[in-house]
Amino acid sequence: MAAHAATGAKTATNDVSHKRRKGPGALATVYLVIYNVVMTAGWLVIAVGLVRSYLAKGSYHGLYYSIEKPLKFFQTGAVLEVGIVPSSVVLTGFQVMSRVFLTWAVTHSVREVQNEDSVLLFVVAWTITEIIRYSFYTFSLLNHLPYLIKWARYTLFIVLYPMGVTGELLTIYSALPYVQKTGLYSITLPNKYNFSFDYHTFLILTMISYIPLFPQLYFHMMRQRKKVLGHLEEHSKNE
Amino acid sequence: MDALALEAALPKRAAPPPVILPPVPVKRPKPAKKAKKAVVFFEVEILDAKTKDKLCFLDKVRPPPRVLTSCRLCLSTDPQWYPARQSIRLDPKGKSLKDEDVLQQLPVGTTATFYFRDLGAQISWVTVFLTEYTGPLIIYLLFYFRVPFIYAPKYDFTTSKHWVVHLACMCHSFHYVKRLLETLFVHRFSHGTMPLRNIFKNCTYYWGFAAWMAYYINHPLYTPPMYGEQQVTIALMIFLFCQIGNFSIHIALRNLRPPGSKTRKIPYPTKNPFTWVFLLVSCPNYTYELGSWLGFTMMTQCLPVAFFTFVGFVQMTVWAKGKHRSYLKEFRDYPTLRSPILPFIL
Repeated sequence: MAAHAATGAKTATNDVSHKRRKGPGALATVYLVIYNVVMTAGWLVIAVGLVRSYLAKGSYHGLYYSIEKPLKFFQTGAVLEVGIVPSSVVLTGFQVMSRVFLTWAVTHSVREVQNEDSVLLFVVAWTITEIIRYSFYTFSLLNHLPYLIKWARYTLFIVLYPMGVTGELLTIYSALPYVQKTGLYSITLPNKYNFSFDYHTFLILTMISYIPLFPQLYFHMMRQRKKVLGHLEEHSKNE
Repeated sequence: MDALALEAALPKRAAPPPVILPPVPVKRPKPAKKAKKAVVFFEVEILDAKTKDKLCFLDKVRPPPRVLTSCRLCLSTDPQWYPARQSIRLDPKGKSLKDEDVLQQLPVGTTATFYFRDLGAQISWVTVFLTEYTGPLIIYLLFYFRVPFIYAPKYDFTTSKHWVVHLACMCHSFHYVKRLLETLFVHRFSHGTMPLRNIFKNCTYYWGFAAWMAYYINHPLYTPPMYGEQQVTIALMIFLFCQIGNFSIHIALRNLRPPGSKTRKIPYPTKNPFTWVFLLVSCPNYTYELGSWLGFTMMTQCLPVAFFTFVGFVQMTVWAKGKHRSYLKEFRDYPTLRSPILPFIL
């Protein structure tokens, strides 16, 4: 299985942490391993927090509050990885930015949506995705990537991605009436800078932007999946 | 050895696709590669830069041939590959060869291998410039005259009560009319074309920002500058000064290059004082452009205008740094005092 993992890892171009040509130095590797371990642990804490809270409450309403702080901490911390993890800077940057936006500019800012089930939907999707992703990076850096993790990383997104996107869109949608009523983050004319900003309209435009953007990201992952997992199927066929 | 024997003697290559070659007058069938004083014939093969497929093969290219013209003719047998979108290079990842390069000056032996890269659909610079500058001119005026469906209906076809708004409209329009006239009569472009998708990108940028700025400046709830007439007058001075400066630089750059040529020279200060800034800056046209928009920002005191100025500044700095670098690479004696865009700073 290790041989499979090694050859499989070589064939993946974008998403392999150990770039054979110019890999990170020893110090950088240590930093990256620590970072990824910490992030894996952080999201595990969130996962455990959700489960415990669910068991204690007996329902899945209002679980957001039990994991609010670690969610904010670890999701915001992901900013550190832009430009450092093997994925493209543009994709990672965009992904992190949209997550941080949802965490702070929507869920945190509009208290009324925090009880919505849609919040739980995207939190669960993010949690599972991140646990797998960060452990994938960790194992890759240590050159011992279990096939299961690689499989999970490139397969579970098929369900988790749409799930997360649905949760995000529903959350933004439920925030709209409150934003309009309170004029949150909005500036009106007249003012001495001759500028205006309507957060309500901005949120609607954000929702619309999911239409072109989400399929691109989704199919990018599909292509990566074929690249990474496709070769392994060939190997097992040959044997 | 005559040409036919030469071809037969060549190592086993895949037969090239049938190609209509330009007629090459064969005067003296002297042997290639033998006697030193004999006329040396060149062979040129053109491969696709990505797939390495053999696209064209030219034999008996006599020196000094306009090799690229021959190559382009050959490649143009495929009608969608008009010359403007052909990039021919010595190395698959290298720079495009220019039309002025002569086969003998190029570092090859008697058999030259060139690589062809399709640059994609092309559009002329003049077309792009005219389109991207006409947009803001018209769009701003739509907002200035408050055509329906922009502001509340009671404001349709009214004019602003602030005189600075009229002034701003005149300045903005003047700026784009100047650009259009310069495109038609002043600029001498080194490349004829750019990729087609640029026109969509560029027009979105110019037209989008023009609409955004014009919306606020001509808004019924527009607030005039904080320091009133003083602020506007100084801003207008800055704007006009920089417009004249920008124009002077364009004229100076035009005069560096004789009509129809593509010569490259170091620009120097001329008798016109506005060009003396060449002493300190490589691309003073960008410096003056920045100055113009700073003036316009001050005149209108409008945040979207400030954003537009900032974004333009970032883009022009990137261009200026690139130009500065290529000046340094091309000319050994390039003046060391010069900075790309801002004297001593950037």
